[in-house]
Amino acid sequence: MTDPYEILGVAPTATPEEIRKAYRRHAKKLHPDLNPGDRDSEERFKQVAGAHNLLSDPEKRRRFDNGEIDASGVERPQQQYYRDFADRSGPGDPYENASGFADFAQSNDIIAELLRRQAERARRAPGADLHFGLTIDFVDAVNGATKRLTLPGGGSIDVTIPAGVEEGQILRLRGKGAPSRGEGRSGDALVQISINPHRMFERHGADIHLELPVTLAEAVLGARIRVPTPSGPVMAKVPKGSNTGTTLRLKGKGAPQSGGGCGDELVRLKVMVPSEPNPELEAFLSDWDPGPNYDPRRDMQP
Amino acid sequence: MIIRKLDFLYRAQLDQETLDIWIEEEWLVPQTAAQEQVFSEVDLARAQLIRELKRDLGVNDEGIGVILSLLDQVHSLRKVLSHTLQSSPGERKSG
Repeated sequence: MTDPYEILGVAPTATPEEIRKAYRRHAKKLHPDLNPGDRDSEERFKQVAGAHNLLSDPEKRRRFDNGEIDASGVERPQQQYYRDFADRSGPGDPYENASGFADFAQSNDIIAELLRRQAERARRAPGADLHFGLTIDFVDAVNGATKRLTLPGGGSIDVTIPAGVEEGQILRLRGKGAPSRGEGRSGDALVQISINPHRMFERHGADIHLELPVTLAEAVLGARIRVPTPSGPVMAKVPKGSNTGTTLRLKGKGAPQSGGGCGDELVRLKVMVPSEPNPELEAFLSDWDPGPNYDPRRDMQP
Repeated sequence: MIIRKLDFLYRAQLDQETLDIWIEEEWLVPQTAAQEQVFSEVDLARAQLIRELKRDLGVNDEGIGVILSLLDQVHSLRKVLSHTLQSSPGERKSG
């Protein structure tokens, strides 16, 4: 980059006020938004803005004058100018103003047709989509539910939660977004779902995982026990000789899958010994001999 | 892309009061959705332009309105011109 004083056209002794004035004089001519069709103005404006950025800051200017820093690296980061949006804005742009050429419409068929089409497009342009977040309970996510979403500005919409909805999934409610400015359809409401964790269940895709405590007797002897599922408790058979880690699979008791059908509930058993001291159990265990080969820590031997 | 009001104030570096005035002056025209004002990327770039006109170019409030109105006309003209050039190449040749 060349000398910032040169770029702004001021003397190295210029006062801050002179620098500001010089910058304004250039910026009025070069600001890209005041030159919508001139692609070169952006590059020249960047130089002027960079020079001003350097010289308008007393500390930076002092360091530059002392040769501590050079003029590079002070350019402003790439900026999106209004003209970049205005030139590609679509139908329904509220800033569109046809008064610069509306009078041609009477004498020129092309312009009249364009104006008519533009007005038609604006009239039919749909409203904007609106984004919302909705937090639901674990069980509602599995079974489906209807939830009322309260909107920030008051008012509400009812959201039908499909069974098996997943964390982060976005539901599109047609026509529940912003109304059209003209006579087009309303935009959509996009509702992103987050699911509260459950104190017992865990979800892995369409499968539900559950850890279920069983008594020593139930594990050793086998039993029929009640197992909670998101759709209510069911009876399940604990096979004789079960252990901690034994997993029962309850077919179809998971969440509905998108391809049809349901996942399973996987019940991992956890054998519990009585928490209170029990003299009979203690007496039995002191006499009990599981045999010389019984060692639950055998796999852990080095 | 929709920008909620709080987000917009932050990204445009505006305070609520200034934004209200700008909207009242129709320098900015946000959409209303669910009784809430929502903004777009276009509004954001326009707010940036207004700030630069005021701060960097020393344009006063009266001037801002004039500039924006003329700019809107220029952009609309540019759009019509570009449509015209695209849609009627044959007529341009013969004419």
